[in-house]
Formats: sequence, structure tokens, C-alpha cells
Amino acid sequence: MAVPEIFNTIEQTAFSTWLRESPSFFGFYFILLIHTIGMSLVVGANAVVDLRILGVGSGLPLQPLKRLFYVMWTGLGINIASGLLLLAAYPTKSLTNLDFYVKLSFIALAAITMWKIYVQVFGDASLSEAAMIAKGKALAKWSLFFWLGAVSAGRLLSETSKYLLYGVANR
Amino acid sequence: MNFAHLHLLLNHFPIIGMIVGVGLFLVSFFDKNEDLRRGSYIVFVGIALLSIPAFLSGFGAQQAIQGPGVSDALINRHEGSALLSLWFVEATGVLAVIGLWQSQRLSHPSHGNVLAVLVLSLLAVGLIARTGNTGGDIRHPEIHPGEATTVVEGPLGSFISHFEPSPEKFVQLVSVNKWWWGFMMAMHFIGLILIVGTVGLLDVRIMGFMKQLPVAPLHRFLPWGLAGLGINIVTGLLAFVGQSDNYIYSGVFWLKMLSLLLLGVNAAAFYLTGIFGRVETVAAGEDAPVLARFVAATSLFLWFAVIVFGRYIQPLGSTLPRPN
Repeated sequence: MAVPEIFNTIEQTAFSTWLRESPSFFGFYFILLIHTIGMSLVVGANAVVDLRILGVGSGLPLQPLKRLFYVMWTGLGINIASGLLLLAAYPTKSLTNLDFYVKLSFIALAAITMWKIYVQVFGDASLSEAAMIAKGKALAKWSLFFWLGAVSAGRLLSETSKYLLYGVANR
Repeated sequence: MNFAHLHLLLNHFPIIGMIVGVGLFLVSFFDKNEDLRRGSYIVFVGIALLSIPAFLSGFGAQQAIQGPGVSDALINRHEGSALLSLWFVEATGVLAVIGLWQSQRLSHPSHGNVLAVLVLSLLAVGLIARTGNTGGDIRHPEIHPGEATTVVEGPLGSFISHFEPSPEKFVQLVSVNKWWWGFMMAMHFIGLILIVGTVGLLDVRIMGFMKQLPVAPLHRFLPWGLAGLGINIVTGLLAFVGQSDNYIYSGVFWLKMLSLLLLGVNAAAFYLTGIFGRVETVAAGEDAPVLARFVAATSLFLWFAVIVFGRYIQPLGSTLPRPN
């Protein structure tokens, strides 16, 4: 299957070229940094909630950790925005890479699990902590697994991509 | 100051530090002195941290001095020895952290831990002494007159050298397979997430956010953060050995290392000055002491700096001068 011409069109635009080649501090590496920070927020906060549900730090009351979901949604939002910019800079590299779709799938699954935990575990204020934990155990395990998959798939993007740009092979 | 100078300054820490640490540790057996034992563990942790820049600067020192009149064989022998001894120094540090954690929760490290520290620290001090010795051989021909550029091993040296990795082979192993490299970097990110989640949340609470949480249980998450730190030190060191040229001449890489050392100092301030004791009792709804909040803010700032500097190593790869 040939690489769609539209990727070339996007890469030729001034915006995409600026993202890739600008020596400005706010260029590509800054966006990548923002993406890293967003990842730390969404996965870090999620990991703490998951670990708590699975029994770590059992002296910590579970209900107040609901506040951490604001951190998670913020991190996810930051990463959707920065991710779109990264995509605009290197559409061929990402969209011809199977691993990229694997990453997006893991993220979708992790986000859905995050939402389920938010609604089913933290959504009912009348639940006792033990009941919350019972409801959340399986979801917490899946959440950790999906985020592990997302982070690994994301990190392996540079090793798995076939093209750097339209018509330019990766290293 | 060049890398050779930096290496000569820093290499004293792992060698003398391990001797001091082992000395204190052995003395602690005589009196069953728990304070002295804790002290020796603290020395082991500090030395494990300081050995990292000592090790890293060696690669820069090599590039600064290699050339005619300097034996590559002697340098490679020293590097192989350092590659081996570093892991034992770091392993002793890891066990010491575990022992200190156990000390805090059970009033003393477990017997298994003490035995493990005994074995590893003795091996580490022996191996680091050999590292120092083989290092001295590179530029002090007066020690072995007539053997200035050749490698001559005694029986003990020959035995140990079987375990020392050959630098070329080790570099090949680490960096030549891109899947291994990708795996190491993926682990590095997972370590980073564990640190940010656990240490970050503790720091944020100490600073006064999410006050519905009591502090002591938050602290129980810290072993996960320390595991993340351990993963990152291992993957980071391997990455450095595999592609040292990419890191040595990057100014931001050294800033990242400096930030990590400052985080060690910050942790020492937190745990060794009694601040932690006062923070542990902070219940839900209460404020942490001001000094604790300062330590927490410093921690957050420095971890943020570590992430930023780490991200910029790649684009700012050649900011320090290379030797001509």
C-alpha cells in the first residue's frame, strides 16, 4: 500500500516544517517535553490510584484520591494537544507505523478503564472503602497493564518507524 | 577544569568512601551498635550516588588523555574493572536503602539484609581497590618500573579479570541491538512515571495540597518510587556506557546528573535532620512544618529539572568542547 500523498502535503506546509526544523526553544523538543510531562501526570496519578486500590499504602483513605482524576484528565488533555502537534510534524513517520496504532489502542483502553474506575469506584459516595476496592481491583490491574503497554509502545516508536518523512526512510 | 581533572577529583569518593563505610559497618558488629550500622548504611548510599559521576567522568578522562605515550591496554583494563566494581558499589547502596527502610519500620535492618550488605560491601571494596590500582597504573609508570605500557596481572588480578567485561564487547552488547535499546528506554520512562507518581504526590501533599490525605500512608508508596529510581539508574548507566559520546559532551546531561546529586542532598536533609519524623505525624487536614514544605518544593523542582534536562540531551548533544 502506497504512502498517502496527503502526508507529503502536510509535511510541506510551513507549520509542519517549523515544528520539525525550528531552532526555537519552543520547537519540536519542547513539544516532546510537554508530551513527557503530560504522560507523567496521567500515568503517574493513575498508577498511584491503581496501586492504592491494589493494597499499597492501605492507611491512605481512598475517597480523597478522587481529586487525582483532575490531574489525569489534565495530563491526557495536554498529551492529546501535544500529540496532535507531534503528528503534524511527522505524519508519515507515525501514520505508516503499526506501533503507533498499537499505542493509540492501548491509550484508548487505558482511558476507558480510567473512566470506569472514576464512575464505578469513585462515583458512588455511599460505598464503603472495602466495597470501592472490591469493585476496582480488576479495573486497577487492567489499567496498569494498558498504561504499561501505551508507554512501551510509545517509546518504541522511533525503533519501529519505517519512514522519517515522505519518501525518506528511517535511518 | 577538564574531564581528566574532574575524574581525578571524584575518584577518591568511591574508593575512600567504601573503605570508611565498610570500616564503620564492621565496627558496628562489635557493639551491636545500631546507630553506627545506620551510619555505615548512609555512607553506602551516599557513595553509591557519588560513584556515578566518578564513573561517568572516566569516559571523558579517557578521551582527554588517550594518544601516543598512553597505553590503551591499561585504560581498557581499568575501564573493565570499573564496569564490574560499579555494579557492586551500586548493589551495596540499594541494599543499604532497603536496610534503612527496614530500620525505620522495624527499628533495625533484617538479618538477611545485614548479611547481604556484608558480602556485597566486602566484594565492592576489594573490587574498587583494584579499580583504583589499575587506574593509577595508567599514568604512574614509577609504580611498576619496566612495565609502563603492558598489562601484567598477578594471580588474584588474573582471577578477577575473568569477571571484568571487555569494554568493547560491553558497548556492543548495550547499543548495537535497537530492540534492547528501545526496551531500556521504555523501562527508563516507566521508572520516571513511578518516581513522579509517588514522590510527586508525597511532595505535593507536604506542600499543602490534597489535605484530606494523612502523610504517613503516602510515604508507604515510596518504595515504588525508589524501585523506579533503581530502574533508571541501571538503564541510565547502561545507556551511557553504550553511547558515552552522546552524553559526555552534552552540558545538559551533566546538569541532569548534578540535579540528581542535589536530590540526594535534599533527601539527606529530609531524613537525617528530623524533618521526616515531624512530617510522619501530620494527619489529614493538618499542615506540614515549613521546613518540610521547602524540602518538598525543592524535590519537585529538581525532579522537574531532571525531566527537562533529560529530554534536551538529544538536541543539545554537543555543547561541551571535545579534545582536539
